[in-house]
Amino acid sequence: SSEFNASYSMGRLHIEHMGGERVFSCANCDCPLTNRQQLISTRFTGATGRAFLFNRVVNLDTSELQDRVMLTGRHMVRDVSCRKCKTKLGWVYEFATEESQQYKEGKIILERALINESEGFPDPVKD
Amino acid sequence: LLELMENGSGCLNGSGAADSAEKAQQQQQCPAVQLSERNCEAVRVIGQYLRELGLARSAEALVLEAGCPLESGAAAQFRSSVLLGDWDGAEASLASLRRALWRESSWSEIAFRLAEQRYLELLESGAHIAALCVLRGKLTPLQFSPDRLHRLSGLIMCSGPEELRQLSGWSGAAGGTRQALLDSVEQFFPPSVMLPPKRLSVLLDQAVRAQVSRCRHHNTSLSPDQLTLLADHSCQAAASVPSVCSQVLDAHQDEVHVCQFSPNGRFLATGGRDCVAIVWLVEAAANPPGAPRVRHHLTLRIGEERGGVAWLAWSPDSRLLLACAAEEATEVIVWEAETGDCIKKLKHRDEDSLTTAAWLPDSNHFVVGGNRGHFYLCSVDVGFEKAWDFIRVVALATRREDDGGTAVLAADTFARIRRYRFDTMQDETLFREDGPVMSMSISQDETLLAVCVASAGVHLWDLRLRVCRRRLHGLTHGAYLLHASIGGPNQDFVASGSHDARVCVWHRGCQAGDGAQQHLLPDKLSGHGGLVSCVSWNPRHHGMLASASDDCTVRIWLPASLAAAALAASADGTGPGGAGFSSNGCCSSTVSKHQPPPLL
Repeated sequence: SSEFNASYSMGRLHIEHMGGERVFSCANCDCPLTNRQQLISTRFTGATGRAFLFNRVVNLDTSELQDRVMLTGRHMVRDVSCRKCKTKLGWVYEFATEESQQYKEGKIILERALINESEGFPDPVKD
Repeated sequence: LLELMENGSGCLNGSGAADSAEKAQQQQQCPAVQLSERNCEAVRVIGQYLRELGLARSAEALVLEAGCPLESGAAAQFRSSVLLGDWDGAEASLASLRRALWRESSWSEIAFRLAEQRYLELLESGAHIAALCVLRGKLTPLQFSPDRLHRLSGLIMCSGPEELRQLSGWSGAAGGTRQALLDSVEQFFPPSVMLPPKRLSVLLDQAVRAQVSRCRHHNTSLSPDQLTLLADHSCQAAASVPSVCSQVLDAHQDEVHVCQFSPNGRFLATGGRDCVAIVWLVEAAANPPGAPRVRHHLTLRIGEERGGVAWLAWSPDSRLLLACAAEEATEVIVWEAETGDCIKKLKHRDEDSLTTAAWLPDSNHFVVGGNRGHFYLCSVDVGFEKAWDFIRVVALATRREDDGGTAVLAADTFARIRRYRFDTMQDETLFREDGPVMSMSISQDETLLAVCVASAGVHLWDLRLRVCRRRLHGLTHGAYLLHASIGGPNQDFVASGSHDARVCVWHRGCQAGDGAQQHLLPDKLSGHGGLVSCVSWNPRHHGMLASASDDCTVRIWLPASLAAAALAASADGTGPGGAGFSSNGCCSSTVSKHQPPPLL
């Protein structure tokens, strides 16, 4: 048929990889997410317990914008999930109402129990 | 008085000269037609063209009738003197032309060349004493280019004209060297004194090249001097750009992710999630000649646990097909395409993910790699040979280099395209992309690299100049891998898949003077029912394009004129399921009646 059916859109997912010496990936399907260099803070808490704040994470799908009140104040966030297996992994801060919390905007929280840390390797290219 | 000579030969008919001299005088007193300056220039240029073709009498008649001398009197005198071999006369004319030079400093060079020609001709005819006089009396005092002077004086020792010609690279008095001397002198004088050589030919060539650069669907391997002058050049879209779906191949049971024509254009390989690689045969129908059709040849299975076929690569001799599996792919398989025999299964490490591959020119070695961090040089004979570690590879290609070795081009997860030599273990970063690389494809002549960059389109990199030549936009972005392909007789066409179920086709060479933006947008071919991930141009049948889609089919696209023929010849049920062609620019360029048909 000549009609474009959106539900057919499968194909092979484009999976990025950030590299790094210590790599974090999805605990469920091992999809690479981020690395230690991107880790900003380990002192966050999520639904499953400890959570990490990262600067940049790849291979995530985001949900619709949600208004949430957290310990640190009111925030606008989106839930993030693994692009490959769709497991919910944490959230991303889009907007913080309090000025002292604005440093989190654009950064991603991943819950420690839902990710694996593994050995990577340094980039051999020097130029 | 003007006396125009035929190229390099002959002498003047005495009585004829008197007649024409009289006529010339009469004409100059009252020319029949008054010409504007531009028209006068046109006459001069045409006269030069006629004369160069050997039509000296016509040129002479033209000049007489128009009253426009081709060049100044002294220049004409100089020209005829040189062609006659009257060196003293030539020198005298040259002296009177000296004032007209662009730069006074070129004087010594011209005088040197004139004397050099004289010297060489004297040597050729055996007059060594006279030659020596020229060397001492004319060449040396000019003090121009001591190296050349030294070489010229060495030629005195030549035993005969043959040896002289061989050693000096000069083809002799009768070998057109007098004309060559004139051509080389012309550049030193302004056009009012002497016309630049072959002026009309140059202008015509420029015009044709300008038309070619504006040709939106240029798809012919004819060179500019083979194109007709009688009408503006423009390739017919219908004959060169694929626009009609001539076949829908539905042998696959699930999404098709890869399609690749073999380098000789005889086979098509397709593969996808159903874990099967299908080899199709391309047949060019006998009548009418040139309408290619595809039919099923072999179905090759890879194991079900491998998650589908991720990549297919043909060996350069089109004999072997290599398949990589998706995701947890630890093994690659090589088959012989004609028979379907599995001739190699290669596995190195259990933790590997070998999702991309490319062959080396010997059709025995190949490279495989993936994003786990290793890529390997392997061969069909021996198996695994060498590893390169700590590079997470996204796409591979190979390219022959000037020293005879082969470089492996790899795009990695840091958006770099680097070049690796397994023989010297040398590596180098060639390009850095500004976004994550999804896939990469090299043109058949190995000069261009098409890189699909996520959310950015297709970037064309020139591998010799090492610059980005074009950024092609207009395809619909999304989360899934897309592949592009470069095709056409001059590597002018780029096609890619798109998330909106359409195939995008760009003509990269076109530089329109008007609204250049328009020509960077692709023509889009509709027909598929799902994401189009991969496309491939047939290297032998240039207008033929294959596309692989999530709707489980592979479509074959042909230019409209060919497709009509292919449809008429179809007997089996693989007819098209409906086709549409929408273009972002003019749908059909002006068709020239005199245009020779573009080659396919």
